[in-house]
Amino acid sequence: MSEAALAPFAWAVPKPYSRETMPPTTSGDAFVKWMVANRGESPHFLRQRFSRYQTLVANGDVLDDRNKRAFLLTPREEFTLEHHQGRAYDHAYLDIGFGVTISGPHVVSRMTSTIDVKMGEKVLEIGMGSGYQSAYLANLTDKVWTIEIIKPLAERTRGVYDALIARGYTEYTAITSKNADGYHGWQEAGPFDKIVVTCGIDHVPPPLLQQLATGGIMVIPVGPPGAQRLLKIIKEQAADNTIKVARSDMYGGRIVPFVPFTKLDGEAIKGTHNQR
Amino acid sequence: MRQRHGKGPLAGSAARFRTGAAAWLARAGLVARAGYDSTARRVRTFSAGPMTPHGTEPPAAGVELRPTASLYLSVGLVAGAVIALQIGIMRLFSVGSWAHFGSLVVSLAMLGFGLTSAIMCVRKGWFERHWQRVAMTSLLLFGPLMVAANLAAQQIPFNAIFLVSDPAQKWRLFGNFLLYMLPFLAGAFYLGTVFLKAQRIFGRVYFADLTGSGLCGLLFLGAMYLFTPENLLVVPLVLWFAGSALWCVAVERLRPIAWLCVTAVACAAVHFAAPAFDVPNLAVSDYKGVSYARKFPDAERVYERASPFGYLEVYSSSYLHFAPGLSDNAAFNLPAMPANAYLGLYIDGEGPSGIIRDLPANETAYFRFLPMIYPYLIKEAPDTFVVQFGGGISTAVALKSNSKSVTVAEGNPAVLGAFRNDKVLRDFTGDVLHNPKIKVIDYEGRLYLANTKDRFDIIDLSLADSAGLSNPGGFAIVEKFAYSREAMTSYMRALRDGGILSVTLWNKEEPPKSVLKLYATMAEAARQIDGGAITDRFFVTSSYLSTATVLYKRGGFTPEETTKLREHTRAMSFDEIYYPGFVYDSKDTASVLTDYKNSIFPDAPTEDPALPANGAKPPEGPPADNAPLPATTMGQMAWHHLVHGGWDDIARRYVFDTRLLTNDRPYFAAYVKPADLPRASDRLELLQDEWGFLLVWATLGIACIAALSLVLLPVAFGWRTIFSRNPGKFRTIVYFACLGAGYIMVEVGLISKFIQALSNATVSASVLITGMLVCSGFGSLVSERYFERARSIMPRIFLAIGALLIGYGLALDSVLDWIGTFPYALRLLFCFVLVFPPAFLMGFPMPIAMTSLSRLGKDHMFLWAWGINGCFSVVGAALVPVIATSFGLAAVLIFSGCAYLLAIVGFFAVLLPLAPAPARAAAA
Repeated sequence: MSEAALAPFAWAVPKPYSRETMPPTTSGDAFVKWMVANRGESPHFLRQRFSRYQTLVANGDVLDDRNKRAFLLTPREEFTLEHHQGRAYDHAYLDIGFGVTISGPHVVSRMTSTIDVKMGEKVLEIGMGSGYQSAYLANLTDKVWTIEIIKPLAERTRGVYDALIARGYTEYTAITSKNADGYHGWQEAGPFDKIVVTCGIDHVPPPLLQQLATGGIMVIPVGPPGAQRLLKIIKEQAADNTIKVARSDMYGGRIVPFVPFTKLDGEAIKGTHNQR
Repeated sequence: MRQRHGKGPLAGSAARFRTGAAAWLARAGLVARAGYDSTARRVRTFSAGPMTPHGTEPPAAGVELRPTASLYLSVGLVAGAVIALQIGIMRLFSVGSWAHFGSLVVSLAMLGFGLTSAIMCVRKGWFERHWQRVAMTSLLLFGPLMVAANLAAQQIPFNAIFLVSDPAQKWRLFGNFLLYMLPFLAGAFYLGTVFLKAQRIFGRVYFADLTGSGLCGLLFLGAMYLFTPENLLVVPLVLWFAGSALWCVAVERLRPIAWLCVTAVACAAVHFAAPAFDVPNLAVSDYKGVSYARKFPDAERVYERASPFGYLEVYSSSYLHFAPGLSDNAAFNLPAMPANAYLGLYIDGEGPSGIIRDLPANETAYFRFLPMIYPYLIKEAPDTFVVQFGGGISTAVALKSNSKSVTVAEGNPAVLGAFRNDKVLRDFTGDVLHNPKIKVIDYEGRLYLANTKDRFDIIDLSLADSAGLSNPGGFAIVEKFAYSREAMTSYMRALRDGGILSVTLWNKEEPPKSVLKLYATMAEAARQIDGGAITDRFFVTSSYLSTATVLYKRGGFTPEETTKLREHTRAMSFDEIYYPGFVYDSKDTASVLTDYKNSIFPDAPTEDPALPANGAKPPEGPPADNAPLPATTMGQMAWHHLVHGGWDDIARRYVFDTRLLTNDRPYFAAYVKPADLPRASDRLELLQDEWGFLLVWATLGIACIAALSLVLLPVAFGWRTIFSRNPGKFRTIVYFACLGAGYIMVEVGLISKFIQALSNATVSASVLITGMLVCSGFGSLVSERYFERARSIMPRIFLAIGALLIGYGLALDSVLDWIGTFPYALRLLFCFVLVFPPAFLMGFPMPIAMTSLSRLGKDHMFLWAWGINGCFSVVGAALVPVIATSFGLAAVLIFSGCAYLLAIVGFFAVLLPLAPAPARAAAA
């Protein structure tokens, strides 16, 4: 369904979605007021989102206005389990059932900033999970494909998208999803400019490298959930026309200090969750 | 005249054994670890006299226990039920979530024995009057509590991976601890009551307790062949039922047997029927490897087998893909990867390890893109040795690379049994183990190579622990003898001239940890083989966040071979870490070391609340995509200094511990330097792969606090009142603390150490549990004959124990290597022989001392001493992995030996008579 076709059903969102709009970031109050007026979301979650946003900016996890906007416009609480909604904007990853987590906001933002998605680029996500990553991506481009291997989870998350679309989040019409083995990618929809892999495997699946466009970027988190390192793979064409793959981390070779799970107290960061 | 009664309850009695033993059983698929309450139990009923802190109690009422066979059997079976329950709970944690938490829960639950002891001490008179009712009620509750506690605990949604990020998880873990403590409390009350009433026949009751624990532990191991993990609870249930029925016979009250029968049937029915009502008796975490396989739409379990060597499951699914360390370039040089090429092997739900199909030649082209292909690039038609068969990938690569012969070793008999005997697996793998080119060694490759005269062109140790080293969720504290310096020297010596040792390890850690330990270990091994000249012996390559491969060649690589290997490395887009002639640019050394250190433990805390707590700032400037990655530089730096000198300084400056693996300290885990542990508390998620190590410290901390609280409890009653007439109080405390900690440390330490010769943690634990308990029980019985000469005999006993343990610490390494060369039956025999001398002698000190306290009328000290012994045995058990990972397994034995030597000082304080009563009291 196109965004236009869905417009009559957008009863829950006061104003139609526009890719040109940017909520104010001068203050939390201004942000909340704008979002309530334009998106009809809960001020409670909006305040938490803005607090986390400030931390993301301070930490360099979101680097440009497009990514800042994508974070601010994505209602993370909609993609968590109901009993975890109160912790939706914690630093931590959260359980979403089926042995799957929703990554913490810092990881998602860093990863998305790293692949630098531009409007119109085709992005493939392997491991749809909660749906938050693709929802975030849908604010950056209108071409997102996502695959989930666990059927009930794929169906549940598709249901979340459909419900949100029905409420007026028409940007999620950019997301095409299916339940399948992500190892094989999505041949018919490729090649992709960017690929995000969020599931573990002992090698990079060759089909994904084949479906990655030359000059494209793939990112794969490696390691335990709380301390994942991001493997960044760039597919390049050498001068002799041979295709090469370069591995690096998301910081391009710099060692970056670890960020503990910060604890929010109102809009301020007070220590870490481990210290209470 | 003062009437002599049995001393108070023996709180931890059987308990202590169970913990330590079970702990190590669990690790092999069974266990994890726990504490063992050592020798304490044997004593309590020796003495008599008033027991409460505040005065004399009336004598016990009611009938006395008669020394019948049914009594001894009852004690042995119930004690056995307790140890079986311990191992069973740890198995449930191993299969359902993570073994280390099982150890933690069971260790802490063992403190329930201490609690029981304290209660019975305070209310000794009441328990003596109502002993029959207490014993019967305890027994009637024991079985139902096992089932009910387990069912309730399995409904608690505890998930280890959220322990740091979700505050609710800590309470859920605590809930597990409380629930599982309940049945142990019931068992402890029964045993305590029996000991209380059986003082005159204590020696035999105590022996029944010990042998019951030891033999039922062995029985449980056998039962693991029959029952899947969720139904192992049946074993303690059966033991409980039999022990309870025999108790009824012993006290000549047969009517309750009918109730017992009804209760037992109801327990079994509830346990087996609960899953049908969506109440699982084993809730497997969604985050276990096998849980994912079960969710694949086409998943089918094609093999299942329970045994002490782990709960093996094999799944087939088109969703399973393996190609460990595959070069990214395979994508542009191969038309396709073979479909349905693997089955997934899961042991205790962990995995998968790939079981490779018998692939036709046209589907094996991708082998060239695997790191394990390296040695075959420069060896034609080699005689190959595969150190660990695993799922068979290395073996398949060896066969397809034109090996003249392939000798494969596998230390897990359950894996070999599956490949040899199961039709589905035989068909899938082309019956690989019966391939005429293949010779199978059915024990560990390192032991075979250490003792064979055969020589090989290629020895391959590739990703032998593929599941373990790649799993998110952390290293268990598990001995990796296959990667020790001694193992590496064995591999290197077993090479022909020009032969190649190829070791591939996961390289998925940033900052690097395991690979640096591997590098240091292999370089040191080569120095032992080749002296100082090792510059041309190594070729090392890695792939970022994938794998690292180290090649060692006897005699050194030729320039042509080096060139060929480098060309292949470039073709695969792997990183060059070291090769003969490699020149390291040291300009980045200081910055890489400093940056890595600051990335984990930054020196300057931030004052700005808007920034992360450690003062991290976002990187500035454009990313340097073309610069070598720090992990690559670190590997190159390591090899440069390992080969040319200066590694010690680099290791000291590096953020993590990179000490090499030895037979004495065979751990990849424990990479956080002890000095950094306090700073790790607010970044636990970053160290998630170190949680096994951090948990042993946490367990030690909790055990110390809990144990000290229990030990100090009597102080609340009055150091200067109830103990006022006890001379040498402090030294007496030291004595029993040394015994408690010393005994358990020997047991748990030896279980780890004996794996070196027995290859298997389960078998090692069996030998140690049964051997130690029975030998100590025997020593305890014999000690009675020497009681009158204790003052002169015991110092010699302590000296002998100390000398034996310190000697074992220093010499056991080479002895176990030697034992490892014999057929398995002889190895078992030799190990029993090794256990006997110290275990027999260690059966003396506790009963001698407790009997002395009893005869001297030091009643309160008697009870307190028993509690001190029990508490320090819990602390000692928690101390073992800490000492082993920090200083080595030899240090555990040496430490234990010193504890027994120190006990000599305390022993003479135990023999001091009570001081005369104050005049006023005397007059009264």
